[in-house]
Amino acid sequence: QTILCLLRSFEYSQKNAVLIPVAALGVGGMLVYWLRSRRKIETIEMGDGWWGSGERPLRVKEDESIRPFKIVTSDKEIEDLHRRLDKARYTPHVEGAAFHYGFNSSYLKKVVAYWRNQFDWCKQVEVLNKYPHFHTTIEGIDIHFIHVKPPYVPHGRAVQPLLMVHGWPGSFYEFYKIIPLLTEPARHGLNEGDVVFEVICPSIPGYGFSEAPHQQGFDSIATARIFHKLMNRLGFKEYYLQGGDWGSRVTTNMAQMLPQSVRGLHLNLVFVTKQGLGRLISIMLGAYVPWLVGLSREDARRVYPFMQKNFFDLMRESGYLHIQATKPDTAGCGLNDSPVGLAAYILEKFSTWTDKSFLHKDDGGLESKYTLDELLTNVMIYWVTSSIVSSMRYYKENFSKDPNLNAHSSVRVPTGIAAFPQEIVHTPLTWAKDVYKNIITYTYMPRGGHFAAFEEPKLLAQDIMQFVRKVEQL
Amino acid sequence: SLAGIMLLEVFLVLGTVIIYFLFSKKKEETLPFKEGWWGKGQKPDIAEDATIRPFKVETTEEELSDLFRRLDQARFTEPLENSCFHYGINSVYLRKVVSYWKNQFNWKKQVEVLNKYPQFKTKIQGIDIHFVHVKPPRLPEGQSAKPLLMVHGWPGSFYEFYKIIPLLTDPASHGLSDEHIFEVICPSIPGYGFSEAPHKKDFNSVSAASVFYELMLRLGFNEFYAQGGDWGWLICTNLAQIAPSHMKGLHLNLATVTKVGLTQVLSILLGRHLPGLFGFQEEDVRRMFPFLEKGLYRILLESGYAHIQATKPDTVGCGLNDSPVGLAAYILEKFSSWTDLEFQNLEDGGLERKFNLDDLLTNIMIYWVSGCIVSSMRFYKENLQKGIGTQKHEKLTVQVPTGIASFPNEIMHTPQAWAQKKYTNIVSFHFMPRGGHFAALEEPELLAKDILQFVGKVEKEQLWKKK
Repeated sequence: QTILCLLRSFEYSQKNAVLIPVAALGVGGMLVYWLRSRRKIETIEMGDGWWGSGERPLRVKEDESIRPFKIVTSDKEIEDLHRRLDKARYTPHVEGAAFHYGFNSSYLKKVVAYWRNQFDWCKQVEVLNKYPHFHTTIEGIDIHFIHVKPPYVPHGRAVQPLLMVHGWPGSFYEFYKIIPLLTEPARHGLNEGDVVFEVICPSIPGYGFSEAPHQQGFDSIATARIFHKLMNRLGFKEYYLQGGDWGSRVTTNMAQMLPQSVRGLHLNLVFVTKQGLGRLISIMLGAYVPWLVGLSREDARRVYPFMQKNFFDLMRESGYLHIQATKPDTAGCGLNDSPVGLAAYILEKFSTWTDKSFLHKDDGGLESKYTLDELLTNVMIYWVTSSIVSSMRYYKENFSKDPNLNAHSSVRVPTGIAAFPQEIVHTPLTWAKDVYKNIITYTYMPRGGHFAAFEEPKLLAQDIMQFVRKVEQL
Repeated sequence: SLAGIMLLEVFLVLGTVIIYFLFSKKKEETLPFKEGWWGKGQKPDIAEDATIRPFKVETTEEELSDLFRRLDQARFTEPLENSCFHYGINSVYLRKVVSYWKNQFNWKKQVEVLNKYPQFKTKIQGIDIHFVHVKPPRLPEGQSAKPLLMVHGWPGSFYEFYKIIPLLTDPASHGLSDEHIFEVICPSIPGYGFSEAPHKKDFNSVSAASVFYELMLRLGFNEFYAQGGDWGWLICTNLAQIAPSHMKGLHLNLATVTKVGLTQVLSILLGRHLPGLFGFQEEDVRRMFPFLEKGLYRILLESGYAHIQATKPDTVGCGLNDSPVGLAAYILEKFSSWTDLEFQNLEDGGLERKFNLDDLLTNIMIYWVSGCIVSSMRFYKENLQKGIGTQKHEKLTVQVPTGIASFPNEIMHTPQAWAQKKYTNIVSFHFMPRGGHFAALEEPELLAKDILQFVGKVEKEQLWKKK
């Protein structure tokens, strides 16, 4: 009873004197927490790595020189290729197969005939060498890259460094048509304001002319770190990034790793893998009331029917991913030994991922968007470097650690997204915001598929430029 | 009278319900025989040539020198350090295999081995079907040979049965009881080995079962036994569903269940702690749990090949039909993992612990010389493209007397409790002491003994008459 009396007396007289400071403390505390959490930029750890053979040499400092490089070929290489093409063994397809069982062998014979008789690898090597190539050793392996500077910079214009990262089964060569649009926009009818770029396109280790890692565990985070080191070595402190396919994951990791070095991030493919009840409900509702869950009409058109486009289509197209993420050395073995097999495997993707309706065509619609010369040049890069197996290992290294390819931290650097209609899976703006917290531009592109830089270079260049212009104005 | 009408209605409803339940219990649906024409172009009007022609495997100098040229110019990729078989086949070990293949493997001698059993071809539904037909060398007085159809799978062939055939056609010479002696028929699935590949779409396991059914009838067998694992499991199961009156017994060394129901889900969640409730034996629990690791993850890690073959067979098979080293790598990886998953931790994949290189390479050569890798992969697409658990035959049960030999290193274990939902007449179910997926090649004696005891049970009680 005494206690109760004490409390009551406390209550009536001291109430205000105690409650106000307590409330102030509480609110103040929450304010401080909120402010700190806003300013706290989540980053992923940079870490370190060694990918060369054997043990890392302890006292030897890494050779940081940047060595010019030219692609070469030889008669021996070409004769060996021709011999294999001549001896290729084909299997007749079932009647009416088109591209539903994979690459159509009748059309494959035509491609190989062109490859054997008209494709000129010596000439294509000259095409490849028209941009300056370099090698430099980072973390024990040779990193290949091309570095293209604008031939002419008008007075007063700033040149933005732009790192563009390819994916699988692509290469640095995918950017050859878009590079001139970015380094000399005025000359190609793109007067997108003050923006001019110097472009750096590296090859992911294990792809093309970059040495393959000799150790296990080489994933997109290691790649991101190596590419930061590369840009640093080239003297850049701040730069733009662009990527699709694996390039999207690598550049996203780069933005998460060193946001202060990334002026802006532009993507033509967004991996967003947040699952959960909320997402599931918004998917179900979105079919009927897209506006309610933040989906635009174009989003709805591209995303639905949901099961068909996001589950069945994906299941049909992800066999390669499943086998490469589990048994890359097996899957790639025959492809490194049979150029015809390699071409079938790679070109099937250039067909289906450019336009899903190409599955119904006997020739896979390949030549409606690309020339055989450019398609075969990309295949030749995999062939002459024997990099198909190491390129496939990248899937295992990335998916083993993180089967969902989760983005563990958000991306706060200014981001621009170009959403192409025939991309394998469409990610609406609302879903992209799960990871990308600072989206400056989001564009529904009028046409084009997965290999945006290769297929629609002008559209992509325009979107990159308008994104960069907006970022520079901020 | 109103009450009378109401009572009548109640009786009618009750009556219908009772009749429905009675009939639905006794209703045993058979799977319809699948007609087909798999030849090129249009089916001709003339009657099919039903002759059975003897066949011999042949080889030529040109075939061999082409193979050696390709082996000589093979391009390998160095494995990652300490990766053993975790990334798939290890190319350092593969080089050793290729060296053996070039220098010691004698294909001409192996062709003679293949030809030691009589082989035949006959046209069924428009395509040439290859099969081995081995009759017993001697039969005791008064005994007749029991016909036994044995069906292989992928990436196997009729050759997988070459070690077990003598144990079944001539058991006495191999220390086994000769109470039951078999004449063995091992066909090649259309699209595999020396059987012609279908030229039309949609050739699935039911089509294969129908073709083999016609084959057995053409050979004059009205009643027979069937044995299978891998695709052979499914084809023989379908055969039992199509023609139960002709099949005396079905023996399987794989019994996957593809229709997952609530009971199965519950048994996965609770079976470890309440095995008795779900009919699990101790060995079932040992083989199945922890389920995530031994069930789900294992399937995901090992089914990449099935995923790509079920969606893009012509793409993935293309390079393999052109590079014998690639073909060998692809096939040998399965003979390693599916014999014992622990072999992935070995630098040589443990391949020569259970098999010899001659046998492994002979099987690979069958795929190489017949150029059948692509058509063999198409079988996955034809069977799986609509999804697992969606086809009619997956919903039907099997009433034929069934014997299951459950090998411990099979990729995923199916307990009897699950199997009997589909195979309603399991006569024998045994946990084998050792062995993996390629049972007939790896443990022929164990498998033969299990087949013999199963047939013994069926024959003793004439179980095929009690269906």
